[in-house]
Amino acid sequence: MKKKILLYLICFFALQIKAQIIPQNGTIASSPEFIALKNASVYIRPGLKIEKASILISSGKIIDIGKKITIPKNAIEYDLEGKTIVPAFIELYSNIGMPKGSEQNYSPRPQIESSKKGAYYWNEAIHPEIEAHNFFTVDSKANENYLKSGFGFAVSHVQDGIVRGSGTLVSLGDENRSKNTISLKSGMFYSFSKGSSNQSYPSSQMGSIALLRQSLYDLKFYSENEKHDQSISLERWKEDISLPSFFKVNDKWEILRAEKIASEFQLKMNYIGSGNEYAALSSLKSVKGSLIIPLNFPEAYNVKDPYLSRQIPLSDMKHWELAASNPSLLKNNGNTICLTYNGSKTPDDFWKNLRKAITRGLKVDDALGALTMEPAKILKMDTEIGSLEIGKIASFSVYSSDPFTSDASLLESWLLGEQKVQKSISENSIIGKYTMNINGKSYRIEISGSNEKPAGKVETFKSKDTIQQKALILLNENDVTIQFNCDDDAYKGSFNLHGKIAGKGSVLEGDGTLPNGKWITWSAIRAQKESEKEIEKEIELNTDSIAKPWLPNLAYGMDSIPKFQSIAIKNVTVWTNEQEGILNNATIFIENGKIKRVEIDPKKSVELAKDMLIIDGKGKHLTSGIIDEHSHIAISRGVNEGGQAVTAEVSIGDVVNPDDINIYRQLSGGVTAAQLLHGSANPIGGQSALIKLKWGFSPDEMLIKDAPKFIKCALGENVKQANWGDFNTVRFPQSRMGVEQVFYDGFTRAKAYKKEWEDYQVNLGKIGASTIFAPRKDLELEVLNEILDSKRFISCHSYVQSEINMLMHVADSMGFKINTFTHILEGYKVADKMKKHGAGGSTFSDWWAYKFEVNDAIPYNAKLMQDQGLVVAINSDDAEMGRRLNQEAAKSVKYGGMSEEEAWKMVTLNPAKLLHLDDRMGSVKIGKDADLVLWTGNPLSIESKVELTMIDGLILYNRNNNLALEERNTKERARLINKMLESNEKGEATKPFIKKGRRLYHCDTHGEEGEESENQH
Amino acid sequence: MKNRHIILLFIVCPFLLFGQAKKILFTNGYLHVGNGQVLETALLGVVDGKISLVKNVLTSTYKKGDWDTIIELNGQHIYPAFVAPNSTLGLTEIDAVRATRDYADVGEYNPHVRTQIAFNSESRVIETVRTNGVLISQATPRGGSISGTSSIMSLSAWNWEEATILNNDGIHVNWPESNHGGGHWTESEPKIRNDNYVSQKQKLEGFFEMASAYSKSKKEFDRDIRLDAMNECFLGEKRVYFHANELQQILDIIEFSKKYNLKKPVIVGGYDAYLVGNRLKDSGIPVMLMRVHSLPEHEEDAVDLPYRLPALLQAQGIPFCLQNSGEMEAMNARNLPFQAGTAMAYGLSEEEAIRAISLSTCEILGIDKNYGSIEVGKYATLFVSKGSALDMRTNQVSTILMQGKFVPVDNFQTELYNKYKRKYESKQK
Repeated sequence: MKKKILLYLICFFALQIKAQIIPQNGTIASSPEFIALKNASVYIRPGLKIEKASILISSGKIIDIGKKITIPKNAIEYDLEGKTIVPAFIELYSNIGMPKGSEQNYSPRPQIESSKKGAYYWNEAIHPEIEAHNFFTVDSKANENYLKSGFGFAVSHVQDGIVRGSGTLVSLGDENRSKNTISLKSGMFYSFSKGSSNQSYPSSQMGSIALLRQSLYDLKFYSENEKHDQSISLERWKEDISLPSFFKVNDKWEILRAEKIASEFQLKMNYIGSGNEYAALSSLKSVKGSLIIPLNFPEAYNVKDPYLSRQIPLSDMKHWELAASNPSLLKNNGNTICLTYNGSKTPDDFWKNLRKAITRGLKVDDALGALTMEPAKILKMDTEIGSLEIGKIASFSVYSSDPFTSDASLLESWLLGEQKVQKSISENSIIGKYTMNINGKSYRIEISGSNEKPAGKVETFKSKDTIQQKALILLNENDVTIQFNCDDDAYKGSFNLHGKIAGKGSVLEGDGTLPNGKWITWSAIRAQKESEKEIEKEIELNTDSIAKPWLPNLAYGMDSIPKFQSIAIKNVTVWTNEQEGILNNATIFIENGKIKRVEIDPKKSVELAKDMLIIDGKGKHLTSGIIDEHSHIAISRGVNEGGQAVTAEVSIGDVVNPDDINIYRQLSGGVTAAQLLHGSANPIGGQSALIKLKWGFSPDEMLIKDAPKFIKCALGENVKQANWGDFNTVRFPQSRMGVEQVFYDGFTRAKAYKKEWEDYQVNLGKIGASTIFAPRKDLELEVLNEILDSKRFISCHSYVQSEINMLMHVADSMGFKINTFTHILEGYKVADKMKKHGAGGSTFSDWWAYKFEVNDAIPYNAKLMQDQGLVVAINSDDAEMGRRLNQEAAKSVKYGGMSEEEAWKMVTLNPAKLLHLDDRMGSVKIGKDADLVLWTGNPLSIESKVELTMIDGLILYNRNNNLALEERNTKERARLINKMLESNEKGEATKPFIKKGRRLYHCDTHGEEGEESENQH
Repeated sequence: MKNRHIILLFIVCPFLLFGQAKKILFTNGYLHVGNGQVLETALLGVVDGKISLVKNVLTSTYKKGDWDTIIELNGQHIYPAFVAPNSTLGLTEIDAVRATRDYADVGEYNPHVRTQIAFNSESRVIETVRTNGVLISQATPRGGSISGTSSIMSLSAWNWEEATILNNDGIHVNWPESNHGGGHWTESEPKIRNDNYVSQKQKLEGFFEMASAYSKSKKEFDRDIRLDAMNECFLGEKRVYFHANELQQILDIIEFSKKYNLKKPVIVGGYDAYLVGNRLKDSGIPVMLMRVHSLPEHEEDAVDLPYRLPALLQAQGIPFCLQNSGEMEAMNARNLPFQAGTAMAYGLSEEEAIRAISLSTCEILGIDKNYGSIEVGKYATLFVSKGSALDMRTNQVSTILMQGKFVPVDNFQTELYNKYKRKYESKQK
């Protein structure tokens, strides 16, 4: 039976080989019919390791494997006694053999349209037509590090763009391209980085997200509809979309962002991770695809200089400690993981970190699986690669010992059944004590360690003193080189010797140079043989000393998310923002995150349950939380999608970033909710995210549930790029005149789009409906239609009266409303008109003079608008000011003499009204969300501080606890510094401190990351 | 009550403006001297622009006939002029409009470039700052290693000559950054150690070396105007303002000041100063502390550390004052009183907070002989506020005196306010 299979297999392979004949120059070289590797311990597949096993190879495939197999007489045999065979690893994320991307010429002028020739997709970052197999060349140099790390296969693709194209599965040997190409197309690759495209759009991550979604809808339309414009890109993508999908991310939260798109289009996405996934374990639990994670564990910082080490962010130090636990934590989290070489510096680095991950609890079989079977399964190639079973491709690595548990050397790489020697070590041990004769003088040398990693010590004599010198010993096959420094009675300087092993290691002899440069012969005779010492230690598990990530994994992060608790705040002065006004000596009850009861009668005894948290509010003031109508904190990679004049399709909600320390800082200033707005780089910007400042929660948990939809529009200097320099004079509009027309054009297109869909719906019911196709879905115009249908509200950045007036005219004539004018510093000039239109205003308390358009901005703006009956809020647009909006509200008392209660509403109830959230926030009222702030005194007083801030009844900031957290941070830093010092002292690699620039966004901040913008808002 | 105040203001002000009183007496004011002391029922006399009398109204008497004008304050607060040091106020009008920016010039060492003559005494920004009690500024240059020479200016004058309180008070050195980065504003570049720090520092030393040698030269012709501008630094007539925030920089500045025997060095910024209190105190170098309303520098810094810095320096006995450089600093100078207010909420006493923007500032700037506190013999450069000037709600400036002369408390913004209020009122009718 077995024989039959064997025969069948051989025939099958033979046929396959003859499928393509490459003409040879000269006589055809033959390969051996059978190769047998004997007596090795073999990892057949994850979970199955066989000792003293043999493998029989023919025509590049494994035709038999096991302890007792028949080896044909004509087989070439290799005895691998004591060696370990591991199946070739499979790399999923590489660009091996791909052309190096050519940098396009940089131009400071924006490029609006694609510069590509041919009927390709309109955006240069979407190029599904790029097929890696068209470019693949065998690049031995590029293969080297992969081979040395144990990889035998790789999926290679052109690592550029958002839709990058397909990857090709190749073997990493030196065979020709055809033989090395295992599968022409193995996967489609995606990312959020637009790469080498010089096109202006997209310029932010939310732009990338919107573009990817739109292009997927375009693909859907293209695939389902017979009538469409021709597109090379979509044509190719149509076929390749069914390939396994891979998404390269740069941060854990990006996985969730991509996963949303994947589920929208029913794609099973696998993620090439960034290495910090452990900090989002609970959110990542639901990810179905594999996480392909790097072993890019950071080196310890050099912390010897305290002046410098204090610059290292605590979060980076925590990452240093936790990174190596990433694989095991994800595995334990129930995720499918693969490992990638991507991110490793050298093969040594790769193995060092892989073993480190194993000490942190990653099981050897899981590690092996993550490098072999799991990737093979994703590629649907698990019948060919991924393990060493009969019929599979004979690609594997031979190690001097078990590489997972010891510091083994890679001896051979076998690729498609061809041997490639990586390191040849003599069978004859050179370990032992030798007496060396060099040019007639005698030295004693001791060689310890192993043949792979020998270490040497030489004894020299100086005036009767014995001096021990370290000797550098290298063994390459049978050749040994010995180098040591000598300072004795005869010589001073370096001996450089080279020789051969003779007599099975009992003799070493050869030639070399003396310190004086003279060429001599030498020999060494072993006096005492020592058995090779196992210098490799068995790897010990080390999981108990590892700290847990905080939530978020930054300074002031929480150990765990607090749980709902019943709370009573007694004897407190309450600013209700309701008709009751300010209540004295009241008691507030909070249950399940809501305000349950407000008791104002001090005589009425208040029964307090035992498990209730009771807070004495005597002398203190309680208010509803501050709501910032205009904020740009907690946003990842770009607040502006300024690549086009209309970008309604992008959404800040896609890029909420919980890892922003400013969330906590604003909690300390009593802020509980905020509208995260798109910037003001274009007339119709992106959709807002309405969030609660839920420190420690995931992006989705921060988003306010069922929040009303908002979008940012903008007018004036920013949208006409007035202060962007002389090169930005290309994009329409460049004047206020143009701005008006952008709006008319946008909403006119939106109406036409709506009509097109309505017509379609009508025609569907008619005869011949089967030949009618749905129109193309346009994300931008759908959002504009939401505005027209009053399903989405506008918050419009605006300054001067002319433009405010203009937009209201546009809105009135096109049939929509401006909900809020934000900034609106000349609102006081047209407050009556705004009132008539029905718009509210959210303004700065006192900013002006930063741009020409704020030359007439006055701090009395809020008061004047309010006097005209507008709903007026005061906002921050600034991470720093966001922490003290109570002070900004108080300025309304100074400028125009607003009453204190009305002033306080400017940052609480009024923004809640403007955001249509006043049914659940903005005042202290039974049934509303328990988003409350306890102040040390009158919240408008310069002297007041926040005592505690709660959101949905959870106390997320507490002044006393904050002090404890400061102390905890200090201790944690000290602990990590000590741990790093230990590492520093061990001589482990270090790196100098590096402190990531956390960008503070304002309205007109462009691009993805960076530092603070200039003085423009 | 409030309405009555406003009416009073409108009646009193025009009279005060045009009738230049020679002898003015304020009675029943709550007087913050500026040096930490308080007179709750004060009698304050001004004669020929100078303060002639500061007494307790309950224990002293006065003859009405001795005074041209007597103003009953009914417990309103009197403050010495608040001072905004290290500011581009008057040197810029609209930040985004290049044509209005006059605070930086080309070149690395520009000690000879002077702000005094670029100071726009008619700036619309200035009048809005004055309205909140900030009456003096240090017009300060920016850019380069040595930005130029500042001057101390009155915020009410016909021209820069009259505005000048102290001409060429000091040069401004932007100390090399020990750690730099943050990068271009569209790309995130991490902050890293500045490997060129030592060489940049040595370069600066080289310039001071040259200037120090030059200051001893006596040649009359062929002078180097750049080095001439440095001479007075070595004589102690000009201050040297070192702009720096980090530990390494601060310690190096202490050393540097000793090495060049600088008589009057000042550290501007000083975020890390609280960490080296003793050494700073020993050196006698005062600190013009960074903007109180700033975000913490490090992720794990206390969320309110910038608010607490003044109290931390106060507790260690380091001479300091507040300043407000940063984004939109010209217009934001009017919020200096509230920054002092925040410092008060976070540890300073009220009078310490007031001192940090009045007398302490004048001491550091070297104008305390005539300014900074309400004491007999000093110029009557002061203001009256209806309530605490450090709280937004009660900072209601009703009277301003600049060297004894009444100055309008309104500005174009209050005019626009009234104009549009009238517009709506007339519409309602």
